[in-house]
Amino acid sequence: MKQDYFSANNIKFIDYKDIEILKKFLNPNGKIVSHKRSGVTSKNQRALANAIKHARFLGLLPFVVK
Amino acid sequence: MQENENEIEESAVSRVYELGYLLVPTISEQDLPVVFGNLKELVASLGGVSVSDEMPKMIQLAYKMVKVVSNVRNKWNTAYFGWVKFTMDSDKVLELKKKLDLDPNFIRFLILKTVKENTIATKRFVGRDNVHKRPSVKKDENEVVVPINKEEIDKEIDAMVAA
Repeated sequence: MKQDYFSANNIKFIDYKDIEILKKFLNPNGKIVSHKRSGVTSKNQRALANAIKHARFLGLLPFVVK
Repeated sequence: MQENENEIEESAVSRVYELGYLLVPTISEQDLPVVFGNLKELVASLGGVSVSDEMPKMIQLAYKMVKVVSNVRNKWNTAYFGWVKFTMDSDKVLELKKKLDLDPNFIRFLILKTVKENTIATKRFVGRDNVHKRPSVKKDENEVVVPINKEEIDKEIDAMVAA
């Protein structure tokens, strides 16, 4: 993903409930994909990281995949 | 001037919040609307105006959750997940949190500042996937269109031969 996924899809607010989208930014171990690999703008990367962490807290996404 | 300042303060104090929560799976399906109704009443009692919400749905948790309720360690792998979006005064939200902390029906909850608009983009995203598939479909259509043209040409030739 070279271009920012969120501005390309006109997503202005990254929601923690959108787990299908958030899953795109997790690696096979469940870690957040780095800024370099995700290609997301800095602002969106920060919002994305927060959304993933909120989703993890509510059990929608895993902390680790063994 | 003072009135204007007051207006600005009021708008700053009332904000849009979202409460995401997990309910214990031991609640039966029939009691679920009651619990959901109580939650909405609680939000309304603190001056909250509901914007949108979703009924709690049974989900498989991504990891095992533990909560101690009356000295018993409870473990859960499933829960009812639901959310409510509402506008509320910022000083009342702390009261809401304190009340929810004491509620034994909740495994966990999360109160977030959010925006009024619908923020779930998954449906739009599905639509976009179809857009991606379209070019391949169009190629097929083009291939189909060619034989039709041939048939038409054949018919025209037949018509000319007959004439």
